[in-house]
Amino acid sequence: MATKSNGARRIVSLLRPSIVDTSVCRSCQQTLGRRQYAVATETPATETASIAKDPSASTTFPVVKPVYTINAGIALSRPPQVTRELEPFEQAYYFYQKRLNERLALPFTKYFYFKRGTPADEDWKRKILDRRTAARDIGKYNAYASDAWNDELLVDAREADPAHQVEMLVQDAEATANATSQDTSKKEEIPRPFPRVTEADKKGDEKSLDRLLPRTLYLLVQAKGGYWTLPNAPVEAGESLRLAAERTLAQSAGVNMNTWMVGYHPVGHNVLEFKRPAIDQAAGTELRGEKTFFLKARIMAGQADLSVNTLGLKDFKWLSKEEIAKYVHPGYYHDIKNMLADR
Amino acid sequence: MAAREPSRYLARTLPRAIAPSARPQTLACRRNASDDAPARRLSNHLAELETESSLATPLPADTVKSFNPVAAAKSRRAQLPRSRYQFRPPKYDRGPLHPHQPPPPSDPSSRVFVPGPFSLPRVQQTYDAAIASDILTLCYVHNPPGFTPPPKAPRLREWDDSSPYHKNRPLRGPRGGDVLRLLRKPIKFNSIPELERITIHSYVKQAAQENSGWLHVAGMAVQAISNKRVETFKSRASVSTWSIAPGRDTVAVKAELRGEDMYHFFGKLVDVVLPRLKDWPGVKGTSGDSSGNITFGLEPEQVALFPEIEVNYDMYPPKMIPGCHITIHTSAQADKDARLLLSAMGVPFHGKIVN
Repeated sequence: MATKSNGARRIVSLLRPSIVDTSVCRSCQQTLGRRQYAVATETPATETASIAKDPSASTTFPVVKPVYTINAGIALSRPPQVTRELEPFEQAYYFYQKRLNERLALPFTKYFYFKRGTPADEDWKRKILDRRTAARDIGKYNAYASDAWNDELLVDAREADPAHQVEMLVQDAEATANATSQDTSKKEEIPRPFPRVTEADKKGDEKSLDRLLPRTLYLLVQAKGGYWTLPNAPVEAGESLRLAAERTLAQSAGVNMNTWMVGYHPVGHNVLEFKRPAIDQAAGTELRGEKTFFLKARIMAGQADLSVNTLGLKDFKWLSKEEIAKYVHPGYYHDIKNMLADR
Repeated sequence: MAAREPSRYLARTLPRAIAPSARPQTLACRRNASDDAPARRLSNHLAELETESSLATPLPADTVKSFNPVAAAKSRRAQLPRSRYQFRPPKYDRGPLHPHQPPPPSDPSSRVFVPGPFSLPRVQQTYDAAIASDILTLCYVHNPPGFTPPPKAPRLREWDDSSPYHKNRPLRGPRGGDVLRLLRKPIKFNSIPELERITIHSYVKQAAQENSGWLHVAGMAVQAISNKRVETFKSRASVSTWSIAPGRDTVAVKAELRGEDMYHFFGKLVDVVLPRLKDWPGVKGTSGDSSGNITFGLEPEQVALFPEIEVNYDMYPPKMIPGCHITIHTSAQADKDARLLLSAMGVPFHGKIVN
């Protein structure tokens, strides 16, 4: 019974545009056939063409199996060092929530934080007159006054800007330190946070690790041919992928880096097909192309140094994801983009 | 009968092969006369939308300069009357059929509305940008195509039926104890361990022995470091040496942190308090409830190192500052994964690591 119904199935499959792919099981082929994708029928044609091309190459050399060079690549990254910039909408939203909280929360319990008659208490009284609220980063706004309805920022107001809020906090701390210190001769200076834009950003120094602090940076190297890639080198016999990646890193960017390899598994791969298969005379093999498997690593300290590299690399850069797209081949970027961090 | 089998199969499958698929392969290009009605014309609606965000739309300079809502309100000769009707949410939820329904908790007019978040915490950003992807890479397990994991033994064992009394008995528990552990599922992109909540719990035995001042101070201290209202708890156990009776003495305070508060507290703990602890080797490697929650304790003098307490340390009676237990609940299903997450986020572990 089974064979006979198989016969019927075969008749049905003849009626519909067929996909002859032996690697797909019969039930899946039925499902695929029902979908009527035009692209699905193209695969057998290209396959037969490649089979037809092969014998001409293999007649001159007794090559049995076309092979690929296996490369170990390394995606060495510096994680973000500072928080990201907030979007204008996020700034407005957080500021709105802060003033809303001011209206809904119980008033500040002053007596718990300031003892009466102390210099800190005097300083507090002076400030609250000026600021109208206990919060130091929401501007002049009293949620309990008759004009509490006026809680929206006007155009070009800077109160919602995080940089401005930090400045206000620091100024407040400075004022407290100056008002409460015994020594009135010298003014107290409270250090500001370092700027988010560094010297390297201003100079456009793409070799510095101090650039683009809120972003993840990746090490990109320029190979002999002048094209940019992530560092990679062929895996040697008897070597694991991770060992090969560590060796690649040492050979390409030197040992003057404190790095941490994340795990033993590759996070992405890229296949490079040669236009014409390269023939390795000694081994008697035919090389179709290269397959590169990328392992992930983090840099903790140090800097890349190409003066000792044995891979013939010419230059290196620390780039973010979007910048990498400008330097590498589009096909290469397509393969690696999903393993690069968005931020 | 057997001869008719294929034809029956054919009759069943033929319509499937010929019938068009459920999704139309070509674009639907049928037009109706009603499509030209102004109400149906989609393009007009789209044209009305502003293409730019209202935050970016430039305004004329004189409008910006002359706009002063407070001055406009004051220059009015007579003030506007108060709105006759001010919405008050009902005090009690009287069920779904009552006409006066409370607004949802996200509505600022709701009685249970809590404003926030007020910021995007640094710890959360670090987790999203670096830690989560690293944990995913570290925990990846490669199975070749076609690999099927060997079948696992049942978690609850059968009785071997050696005795007639085994009939209808409930199944036996796992070997080595009666506790049925959590199933540990593979860590995938959608199940990377993350912080779920942090519980700060402080048991103050003097609250039962002496006076309630101890509990008040403990509550204030925990509130200060957590930015959350604390809950108080009565003792469930009887401790006669401390003269604590169950259900009588209120002896503990607890604050539960989630979201923004949790990340800010964790950041302060890891970057401000823990580095300043003296002779503290780290969290014990044996800590954990074997389902991904790690607990450790802080002494009173260590709690006093939190910046919120340090800033007005004088206002707390120095003897009454409480110690506390901090439980970090993670979404990991095993302590091993929770420890991996916490050590990546900066919590040190010491001693024998028990998974």
